Amino acid sequence: MEEIKSTIIQRIKTHFSDATEKEYPYNRVDFSVKKETIPAILFYLKDEMGFKHLSHISCIDWLEENEFEVVFIVWSPTDKIKVFVHTRVDRENPVMDNVDMIWRQANTYEREMREMFGIQFTGLEAPEEFLLEDWEGPPPMRRDFDTEAYATNTYWERPGREDAKDIRETIEKRSGEILPDFAKKYTR
Amino acid sequence: MMINDKNSQKIVDIIQNYARKHSLWILAYGTGCGAIEIPPTMTSRYDAERLGVRGAATPRQADVLLITGYLTTKTLKRVIRVYEQMQDPKYVIGFGSCTINGGMYWDSYNTIKALDRYLPVDVFINGCMPRPEAVLAGFAKLQELIQAGKADGARKYKENLEWYRANQKKVIPNWRMPEYNW
Repeated sequence: MEEIKSTIIQRIKTHFSDATEKEYPYNRVDFSVKKETIPAILFYLKDEMGFKHLSHISCIDWLEENEFEVVFIVWSPTDKIKVFVHTRVDRENPVMDNVDMIWRQANTYEREMREMFGIQFTGLEAPEEFLLEDWEGPPPMRRDFDTEAYATNTYWERPGREDAKDIRETIEKRSGEILPDFAKKYTR
Repeated sequence: MMINDKNSQKIVDIIQNYARKHSLWILAYGTGCGAIEIPPTMTSRYDAERLGVRGAATPRQADVLLITGYLTTKTLKRVIRVYEQMQDPKYVIGFGSCTINGGMYWDSYNTIKALDRYLPVDVFINGCMPRPEAVLAGFAKLQELIQAGKADGARKYKENLEWYRANQKKVIPNWRMPEYNW
């Protein structure tokens, strides 16, 4: 396992000069690259090194650093090793290369990221809407989107749950049912 | 069935309501996570069919619309359409705390918090999730209301359609729905 991991790191580092690696225990290796290298490194991993399976593409919002981090997770069924490929995208102008020619299922992940984070993939052919219908606000998974304020402004809330009071006290008052002592210690 | 004589109408109503309360067909449409409590309610252990509660395949055959859990605005659109396709007599049961006050999705950006702003609800069942016993208790309550002639959500909806429509259009900005003339 360790030998295979070190050969993977060596091969990637000789082919891609901007790749920096980070090793994890068991079967995981991480690489960070620039966003221009992403299609090349994924093509290389899939065609030359047997990482045939795209497990996941996810996105992290680094609000303080004003960047998005996009993570590609690929898996090799022969070596039983997973490789994480990290890249950083500018938050003000999030544009990335589309990779759905390498794995077709990447299309779905990219649509989701376009809707939830507002990352634009150049040349992505898909309908504009994915999960949300008639969405007019900012992308909802961004950290500067105030979910609670949006929900309070948009949807009517039934009064009565602001104080987060325990329902058992109300029941006690209304029906005269006596609360056992152990139940009282859970009331706020 | 309408009869001019007042006392005869009363007798007809009693018979009608008795028949209606013993054949509640619920639409096989599950929203949110609560639909998982319906199979144990229907199958041999709790056997809801002994109360006349059974599934129906299409909205036009169904009497009861069970809203089982949270409703996103996207699902609300479909639910409104389904409800308007159903034929009288029709009843709505709000199921789980999500339909009452938002439940654990109270601060979500795309789920509504109170179902009775958008559809007339006859019976609420609280709990997260309600057990099959609670579901059966809810059905028993609905039967009681039907026998007393108090389950009149559909009439309320027709009379206050403008209020309901205004609320619905507030959360569904792009309104492309057919208008039914029931």
